Amino acid sequence: MRRILIDSEKCLGCKNCSIACMQSHRGEDGVAGLNLSSQELESRNTVLMNSKKQYKPLFCRHCSKPGCAKSCMSGAMVKNPETGLVEYDYEKCAACFMCVMNCPFGVLKPDRASGTYVVKCDFCADKGSNPECVKNCPTGAIKVEEVTTV
Amino acid sequence: MKHVIIGVGAAGIVAANTISKHRPNDQIVMISADDAVYSRCMLHKYIGGGRSVEALSFVSPNFFEARNIVWRKGISVTGIDTAAKTVSFDGGTETYDKLLIATGAKSALPPIEGVKDCSGVYGLRDLADATAIRDKAAGAEKIVIVGAGLVGLDAAYGLIEMGKKPMVIDMAKSVLSANLDERAAEVYQTKFEEAGCVFRFESKVSKVRSDGAGNLSCMILGSGEEIPCDLLIIAVGINPESKLLPGKPDKYLKVGDDSVFAAGDATGLSSSWPSAMEQGEVAALNMCGIETVYEECLAQRNTVNFFGIASVSVGRFLATDGDTLDVRVDKGRYQKIVINDGVPAGVILQGDISRCGFWQYLIRNNVNIEKIPRSVWKVSFADAYGLNQDGEYEWVK
Ligand SMILES: Cc1cc2nc3c(=O)[nH]c(=O)nc-3n(C[C@H](O)[C@H](O)[C@H](O)COP(=O)(O)OP(=O)(O)OC[C@H]3O[C@@H](n4cnc5c(N)ncnc54)[C@H](O)[C@@H]3O)c2cc1C
Repeated sequence: MRRILIDSEKCLGCKNCSIACMQSHRGEDGVAGLNLSSQELESRNTVLMNSKKQYKPLFCRHCSKPGCAKSCMSGAMVKNPETGLVEYDYEKCAACFMCVMNCPFGVLKPDRASGTYVVKCDFCADKGSNPECVKNCPTGAIKVEEVTTV
Repeated sequence: MKHVIIGVGAAGIVAANTISKHRPNDQIVMISADDAVYSRCMLHKYIGGGRSVEALSFVSPNFFEARNIVWRKGISVTGIDTAAKTVSFDGGTETYDKLLIATGAKSALPPIEGVKDCSGVYGLRDLADATAIRDKAAGAEKIVIVGAGLVGLDAAYGLIEMGKKPMVIDMAKSVLSANLDERAAEVYQTKFEEAGCVFRFESKVSKVRSDGAGNLSCMILGSGEEIPCDLLIIAVGINPESKLLPGKPDKYLKVGDDSVFAAGDATGLSSSWPSAMEQGEVAALNMCGIETVYEECLAQRNTVNFFGIASVSVGRFLATDGDTLDVRVDKGRYQKIVINDGVPAGVILQGDISRCGFWQYLIRNNVNIEKIPRSVWKVSFADAYGLNQDGEYEWVK
């Protein structure tokens, strides 16, 4: 499958990835109209800092053993065996947030504005080649590569 | 190879999916008393009218066809012959090479005098229960739910959405006492009360009485108090549906000879959706000859989401001697971490469960967080951040 690989040593914490993610899911072209403090629009990735003050990008891994999909009781969160992506269906989701509790890396969260769905990376599925975060990373800390395990 | 799976709940479905993935040419037959695939965890949304039966499904509509699975629905298996390798039911038998028993559980019925002799008393486990409750509730005004745990409150929530104002009775002092401490529980209690629910704590039902025609008319508490009641829902726990199991599950979830496995609530090992899925997968891998050991999950881990307030509770959330306790309260948020000897033993997070999943990892794996030089509220996966060759995250020890 194709996965976003992370080289955290290259991460400068600029959060271009987060802005790109927000813009990508905004439904309108052009970053000029993007409201960075919008309650409704949230980045699906984030950059954490550890106790040594190093940046650690937190991006959905579309895991081979996804804790989220393995605990989903509505069928909304499903690992696609062909693409390897863990896909999320808003319509099916019952907002039980089992997936949030069961992501061992703490990537997932309920949406901030309504608390009725999960903020989840979709690999910019409808945007063609590479996810927008990767296209907009200025340091190459994230890049897409084919990996062997699905 | 022919696999027979009894049950189309969380465990049965995941098992079928796993077998079909690993052994696409094997034959799979599923037999279930249920005649629809649905998520029990969403039954309250069906009672409340928010979801149709189809919308309770947790699989795609072509799940069985796409995997060439024969599904014999609406059939109750009555016996297993492990020597002849057959399962039997009214009107037939089915042979197997590998058998999975994923029969779930039944609602437990406490000893209440008179229950057997009157109509209007239900558990909430199957779709048929939910349908019966919904139909009966439509014309009922005095509805009582016994049990203020997750299932009892699910029932109450569905009924509130129908415009009803149920009374909920529990022996404990608060709602959700198995999942939340009193402080977190009170937040939900208040919301339910505001919606018209009435609670009676530290009470139990001892008797029910019917009118002349066998319909429930009132229930009597242990204290002797009589409460008029035309619909009673019992939600005090479950009994694993284990009567078909020839033995206790071993670490491969094998329950007898090498051909018979069990998974889900039926095993008595757990009673939650994620654990049932996990066991379904492990049992199926073993049925395919891929040796896999089932690792016990944390028994206490759950999410609660009523009235838009989400909570996560994992592990041992009540502090005892020798524990240290971190508590943080601010607008709409209550968060509590119980730590023993540097190792988190349990958490309750209410109102803000954002990116909290790593807590379960820490608790389940007894990770000492004392050495991380930062506030416990700042601890995250970043403090043990690792990546493997394929770019998957790994906790660094
Ligand atoms: C109202 C409600 C709310 C819940 N909420 C949550 C929640 O929020 N979080 C959580 O983790 N868990 C929750 N649970 C528990 C969760 O639903 C169960 O743990 C889970 O369904 C167990 O899955 P299972 O596959 O073991 O059994 P089940 O889902 O019970 O499936 C059992 C299957 O076996 C079939 N069967 C049984 N006996 C026979 C027989 N003799 N012959 C043929 N077929 C048979 C049944 O028809 C059914 O298809 C809830 C349960 C209920 C009832």
